Amino acid sequence: MKRVSVDIGGTFTDCFVVWDEQTVSGKALTTHHNLSLGFNDSLSNACTQLGTDVSTVLRSVDSVRYATTLGTNALIERKGPRIGALVTAGFRSTIPLSRGRGYGEGLDQSRQQDIPNADRPEPLVPIGMIREVRERVDYLGRIFMDMDEEHLRLQIRDLVDASAEALIVLLTNSVVNAKNELRTREIFLEEYPAHLLGSIPFLLSHQVAGRKGEYARGTSTIMDAFLHATMYHGLGTLELNLRSLGYEKPMLVNHNSGGMAQLNSTDALQTVHSGPVSGIAASENLTVQAGLGNIVSTDMGGTSFDIGLVVEGGVKYYDFNPVIDRWLVSIPMVHLKTLGAGGGSIASFDRMFQTVKIGPESAGSDPGPACYDRGGLNPTVTDADLLLGYLDPENYAAGTITLNSRRAHRSIEDALSDDLRLSAMDIAKLIKYTADANMANGISTELRTRGYDPADFTMLAYGGNGPLHACGIANALGVDKVLAPPFASVFSACGAGNMNQMHIHEMSTYTVLFDANTKVIFDDFSSFNANVAALEARGRADLLRQGMVEAEIYYRLELDMRYGNQRVQTAVVTEITRLNSRMDVLRLIDQFFARYGDRFGKGSQSPEAGVRINTIRVCSFVKQPMMVFSDLSPDLVKPIDATPKTTRACHFVGHDNAVDTAVYGESALAEGTRIRGPAIVTTPATTYLVEPGWTFRAAAQGAVWFLRADEMRM
Amino acid sequence: MATQAETTEEQALLDKFLAEQKLFLGPDPEIMRNHSFGKRTAYEEQILSRPLDAHKLNNVRGLINSALDESYVMVEQMGAAPGAKWGDLVTAIFTPSGDLSMIAPHGIIAFASCCHYPIKFIIKNFIDDPTVGVRDGDGFIHNDARYGGIHNTDQSMMVPVYWQGELVCWVSSTIHEGENGATEPGGMPAAAESKYDEGLKMPPFKIVENFRIKRDLLTFLQNSVRDPKLQLEDMKVKLHAVLRLRERVLAILSQHGRDIFACTLRKNLEDVEIEVRRRIQELPDGTTRVQAFMDSTLRENAMQKIGMTVTVKGDTMTFDFRGCSPQFLNRAINTNIASFKAALVTGLLQNVWPDLPHTMGILSPIEILSDPGSLIDAHDEAPQAMSLMPLFKACVLPTTVMAKLGYSLPKRYTAILAPQYDQAATFIYGGLTQHGDVTGNFCADINGNGQGARSDRDGEHSLAPVFGFMCDTGEHEIAEEDTPIIRLGAQVLAKDRVGFGKYRGGLGYEQIATVRNSNMWGFMTGCEGSKFSSTQGLFGGYSSPVYQLCKIKNFNVFDELKKNPEKVKFDLVSLMNEQALPGQYSVHDMGMTFELCQEGEIYMICQGTGGGYGDVLERAPELVIKDVAEDLISPATARDIYHIVFDEKTRVLDEDATAAARTAERKARLARGKPFDAFCKDWVKSEPPAYLPYFGSWDDPAQIYAGVPGQRVKTTAAEQTGVMMANPKDLRIAELEAEVAALRSGG
Repeated sequence: MKRVSVDIGGTFTDCFVVWDEQTVSGKALTTHHNLSLGFNDSLSNACTQLGTDVSTVLRSVDSVRYATTLGTNALIERKGPRIGALVTAGFRSTIPLSRGRGYGEGLDQSRQQDIPNADRPEPLVPIGMIREVRERVDYLGRIFMDMDEEHLRLQIRDLVDASAEALIVLLTNSVVNAKNELRTREIFLEEYPAHLLGSIPFLLSHQVAGRKGEYARGTSTIMDAFLHATMYHGLGTLELNLRSLGYEKPMLVNHNSGGMAQLNSTDALQTVHSGPVSGIAASENLTVQAGLGNIVSTDMGGTSFDIGLVVEGGVKYYDFNPVIDRWLVSIPMVHLKTLGAGGGSIASFDRMFQTVKIGPESAGSDPGPACYDRGGLNPTVTDADLLLGYLDPENYAAGTITLNSRRAHRSIEDALSDDLRLSAMDIAKLIKYTADANMANGISTELRTRGYDPADFTMLAYGGNGPLHACGIANALGVDKVLAPPFASVFSACGAGNMNQMHIHEMSTYTVLFDANTKVIFDDFSSFNANVAALEARGRADLLRQGMVEAEIYYRLELDMRYGNQRVQTAVVTEITRLNSRMDVLRLIDQFFARYGDRFGKGSQSPEAGVRINTIRVCSFVKQPMMVFSDLSPDLVKPIDATPKTTRACHFVGHDNAVDTAVYGESALAEGTRIRGPAIVTTPATTYLVEPGWTFRAAAQGAVWFLRADEMRM
Repeated sequence: MATQAETTEEQALLDKFLAEQKLFLGPDPEIMRNHSFGKRTAYEEQILSRPLDAHKLNNVRGLINSALDESYVMVEQMGAAPGAKWGDLVTAIFTPSGDLSMIAPHGIIAFASCCHYPIKFIIKNFIDDPTVGVRDGDGFIHNDARYGGIHNTDQSMMVPVYWQGELVCWVSSTIHEGENGATEPGGMPAAAESKYDEGLKMPPFKIVENFRIKRDLLTFLQNSVRDPKLQLEDMKVKLHAVLRLRERVLAILSQHGRDIFACTLRKNLEDVEIEVRRRIQELPDGTTRVQAFMDSTLRENAMQKIGMTVTVKGDTMTFDFRGCSPQFLNRAINTNIASFKAALVTGLLQNVWPDLPHTMGILSPIEILSDPGSLIDAHDEAPQAMSLMPLFKACVLPTTVMAKLGYSLPKRYTAILAPQYDQAATFIYGGLTQHGDVTGNFCADINGNGQGARSDRDGEHSLAPVFGFMCDTGEHEIAEEDTPIIRLGAQVLAKDRVGFGKYRGGLGYEQIATVRNSNMWGFMTGCEGSKFSSTQGLFGGYSSPVYQLCKIKNFNVFDELKKNPEKVKFDLVSLMNEQALPGQYSVHDMGMTFELCQEGEIYMICQGTGGGYGDVLERAPELVIKDVAEDLISPATARDIYHIVFDEKTRVLDEDATAAARTAERKARLARGKPFDAFCKDWVKSEPPAYLPYFGSWDDPAQIYAGVPGQRVKTTAAEQTGVMMANPKDLRIAELEAEVAALRSGG
C-alpha cells in the first residue's frame, strides 16, 4: 500500500506516508496563507527519508487524505461571509437567543457559572440579517400554513440588498417535510438566477442536519455557510497543488464523523475537528490490529486535553449535538471530550481550600509558560515539569524553545510560596499531582458515565505532553497500562490515513415500538423499512458518485431509542436492518434494554413506560485498505536494557528527596528497550517520563508501553 | 384548687411522657429554622484535630466532585421530566449528620442549601424508630418543601451509605418533576387555596429496601398523579443515579479510608464558611436596603412588600426581611423560610460570588431575620404551591444590595449588574396529549429571563433563569412531538419592552401558543409584574416594563391559516393592535389559573427584560442606533427615551442635534426636580393609599398593613396571623348582583 495522509493543524502540518513496508513522517509549519506550501514542505521532509521526491510519491500513492483544522481557525478568526437567514415566522429570535445557554457553550465551567459576566459570542448571523418566512409545518410534517411566496420573495430581496453573501433557510420541522425549504431555493433561483447574481451559497437546513431541533440545525447550517468559502478555497488550493505535482486521483477529506469522502462530497462543517477525530480513528485501528482491548485515548497538548473512547464490540460514541467553537450544532461527530488542561494551565493559590488550583486559565503558547521567557509570569504545569527536572531546557520541542529554569522557579515562588508555605520544589510536585488528578477525574467521568470502569481500559497517551504525564494520570486513575502509540508525534496524520469512505445520513422519526398506554407493539414495518432503505439509498448515491462499487458498500444501522419521555437517546447499533415481524421489534427492544443497562445499571431500564425510536441513522461505507500496525505486545522481543546518556536529579510526587534519574535519548525507542523507572527519555517530539514504580518498554513502530511495575511481564 | 409543685423527678417523667406522645411528625422547627451546618461530631472533632493535609483533602474532593458529576449526567440523560431535560436537578452528598457538603458541579444552586433538611428529619425521627429504621439498601423519597426543598414539584431520593457497618454519608438526587397530582396540572397550582390542594405532600419516607423500589408504594404514588409514567421513570432514574454515586463513594473510601473522606466532607463546609466570612469582611460596614413588591396573589391584584435590609459589620452580615407582607392563608404564593433562604443562596451564588462552591456553608455565617407568619416565613398550613413568586424575588434581591456594597471594592468577584427579570414567564400546561397521554408540566421558556445591564455593557437577552446557569430554553420541534402545543411565536424578542439605561437590560421574548389535536388541554401562567414593575434598574437604570397575558378566544387560528393566512401575524403587538382575526380579544394580568384552551385559540405571554444600568442620557448613541437596527426598539423609543436625533431611513446620527436634545432634557429634568425636603413633603405619606390593596409594613417594619380597599387591617408583625382573601368569583358575582339589583331598581 502506498498512501499519504495529512493533518493540517493550527501550528504544524503533519504528514504520514505509507510506502509499502516503510512508513515515514514529515512535519512543517502550517502556512495559513496557502496551505499547500506547508504541505509540500512536510511531504518533502518525509520523501527525503524515503530517498525519493514528492512528485514520484504523489504519482504512486492510492490516495492523499486530509484532516484539517482550517475550519476551526476560520471560526476562531471569524473569517467568513455575511450570512442572511430565512426562518419560520415566529422563530426569528431562535438563533440569537441560542437556547439561553448559548452564552456558555464551549467555555469551562467556571465561566459558565459566572452569569454576571456572561457574553454570547459575536454572532455569525447578526439579528439584523434574519427574516421571517410565513409558513408552518407540524411535527409530523403536515403543512398547516402554506408558504407565502410573495412575502418570501421580498424577504430574499431584502437580505440580498443588505449585502448577504450567503443565505441559509431554517424552516421549522423541515426534516419531516422539506417541501417548503426546497421551494425557497426554487424561488431564490427564480429571483436571482445564477447568471444574474453569480454563485451565492443557499443552504437548506434539512440538507445539512437530518434531526429535529431547530436551533442546533440552524447553527449547523450557518456554520456550513460560514465556512464554505474558506474550506472551498483552502482545500481547492490543495487539490490544485496536488494536480500540479502529478497526483491524479480524487483528493479525500477526513470527516469528524470518523469517515472520509471526496472534496466534492464534503460539507464544510464535517471537516471541523477532523484532526483530533483522526487520532481516535487511529486508536480504533490500533486496538483492533494490536489487540489492545478497550482504549481511552488522550491527547495532552499545551492548552487542552482531548479524551476519546474506543471500546471493543464496535460500539461507537458520537456527540449528536457537539459544540464547535462556541456553538451547539447538530451533526454526528465522533465523541471527543476536551478539558482545558495542558502544559500551559496556570497554577494559582486556592485561598478557600488552602491548596493549589490548576487552570482554567491558560498561558497558551503566547506568552506561554514562564520558562518560555516570552513574558509569561504565571506558573504553569510546564514550569513545574521543568523544575522537577523532567524537561531538558536545551532540547525542548526539538530545541526550538530554550527553557529558563530560573524563571520557572521564580514564577512558582512568587505566586505560591508565601500562601502555601512550601518550597518551590514541593509546590511543583503539588502542581503536577493536582494536574494529573484533574485529568484522571476527567477521564474517569467520561468512562463511568458510559458504564465503564477505567481499570478495564488501556490508556493511550499522545500529544506534546502526553507521555510526560502518562504515568501520573494513570496513577490517579488506577490504570496499569499506558501506550504511547506508534508514530505518536504524527498520530492524527496517521489516523487520517486509516478511515473508511463513509457517509452518515439520519432522519428524525416518531416511531413508537411499544405504546405503554395501549400496550400495542409497532407493526408498521413497511414505513420503517422504507425509511431505512431511503437512508441507505442516499448513502449509496454518495458513494457511487465517488466511484465506489455498489457491491462493496456496507451499511450500519443505528437507532436512537428511549424509554417513555426520557431525554437520553441511546444509540443502538443493530443488525436488524429490516423489520418483518413483531418478534423483530421485540429483539430491538431487547437490544436497547441490554445497551441501556450496560450504561446506566441493571434495573434502570423502564420498558413499561414505552419504547420509542427518535432517530434512524445509516452509516454507508466502503472499507478501505488500512495501514498495518505491528503487534505491539511489550513482551514480543527479548528485553534490551538500555544505557542511559546521563543522569539527572529529578523530583517525584511521594518522594521527599531528589532521585537520581537516568536520562535516555531517542535510541531508547528501539523495539525491545526496557527501562525501569525513574527514568526520562527525551526525543525531539516529546519527553517520556517513567515514574518510580513504572517500566518503559519500547515496542514496534516507535510505540512505547508504560507498565506499572509487574515483573511477571518482563 | 391549688396544685402541688412537681419534683424534678416528676417533671422529668412528665417531660418524657410529653416527648413520647407524637401524634404527627410534622415539619420540625428545630430543623427547618436552622440554616447553619451542625457542630462537629465527636468523631469529626477527633479526626479534624489531627494535622491535616489540605492537598490530600483536595484530591479526595476532586474524586467526590467527579462522582457527583457522573451521577448528575446520569440523571440528566435518563430523566423524563422536562425539568431534567433542561438541568433542573441535582445530585448531592451529605455528612452522616445530614449537612450538605457538596452538590454536583452543574446542579441547580438552590438545592445546595435545602436538600439537607429532609435527611436531618430522617436522622432525628426514623433512624432509631424500629418501625422505620435506616439500613444499607434503603432509600427515602420526599417532596414536601415544608420538610425541606424548594417547592413540592421537586422530588428527591435519599440514600444512606454504609461502609464497614458505619453510616459514612448520605447521597441524594432531586429532579423538578412537574406533575404531582395537585388541583391544577403541572405541579404548581396557583389555584390551591389550602395545602390540601397541592397534590402529593410527601414527608421523607422509605420507598426503597434492598436497593429496590417497593411496588406497593410506587403504585400509590402513581395513583396520586396525572402522569404515572413520569412518576415511575424518574423514581428509577433517581435511584440508579444515587446508587452509582454510592458505588463511587465506596470506592473512594476503599482507596483513602474513612477518616480522610469524613474530613473532606466536613472541611468543605467549614472552609467555605470561612471564605464567606472573609468576603463579608472585605465589604464596607454599613446598612443598605432594597424594596420589592409582588403585585399579585395570582388570583387578584395585591401589592405585597418584600423588603431586604442588609447590615454588614466586620465578618458578620444580616439579611433582615422583617416587615414583609403577611402570609395568605388561602393563596398559593407563600413560602416557608427554609425555601426562601435557599433562594437567597442562589442570589448570592448566581450574581455575587459565582466562583464559590455550592454548599450550605455559604449561608451559614449570615443571620436572617423574618417575621413568622409572613409571606416569606409562612406557617405550615399555608399553601405554598406557587412559592416561586417570593423565591424568585429572593434570587434577585441580593443583586442590588450587594452591588451597592461591593461597587467600590478593589477586588470584584464578578461583574456589577442590575437585577435579572424575575418572573416565571412560561406556560404551565396540562391535559391529554395528541398521543393519548395524560400529562402536566411547564415549558422550558422559564429559563429565558433577560439579564440585567452590567456596569460596563448591556445585559444579555433571555439568558438564564434566576435560579441556575447553563439552563436551556429548549427546541420547539422536539417539544411539539410530546405535547399538542403549537408555537406561533416561539421566540421573538419583545421590542420596546426594555430596561433602559446607559446600558440596557437584555430583552425577553414573546411566546404565542395554541393547541392542536387535543380536545382536552389547558394552560395556566404563574407570573406577576403585570401592574407593577417586577424588576428594578440599578444606579439610575430603568426598571422593567409590566407584561400582560393576551388571549384570542372563540376562534380557530388553524382555520384562519387556511382561509385568511395574510391576517395571521406572528408577534403579540401586531395581533393585539390590529385585531384582524375573528376571535374574542382580551388582556389580563399574568396570573392565570388553569383554563381549557380549545383548538386554535391563542394565548400570549412574554419573558421580561433585565433592569437597566445608569442614566439613559449617557447611553452611547451608536448603541441606541444598533438597538434600532436590530429592531429591539423603535425609532420613537430611541427619541423619547434616549433623546437621540437620527435619520430613520439611513440610521445616521445627527451628533450635534443629539447633544442639543440631551442638554435640553437635562435642563428639563432640573426644571422638574425639587429639593429633597420638598419632594418628601409631597411624596411621603403616613400610610398606604386607601385605594391600594396593600400588604406589609409601610414605614415601621413592626407595623403590618393588610387588606383590600375598605377592609384594611393594621397589626403588629408579632401578632399577624395571615390574610384570607375572598374568592374573586364571589366578588364578581356580588358585583354583578349589585348591578342587576341596580338595574331592577331602575338605578
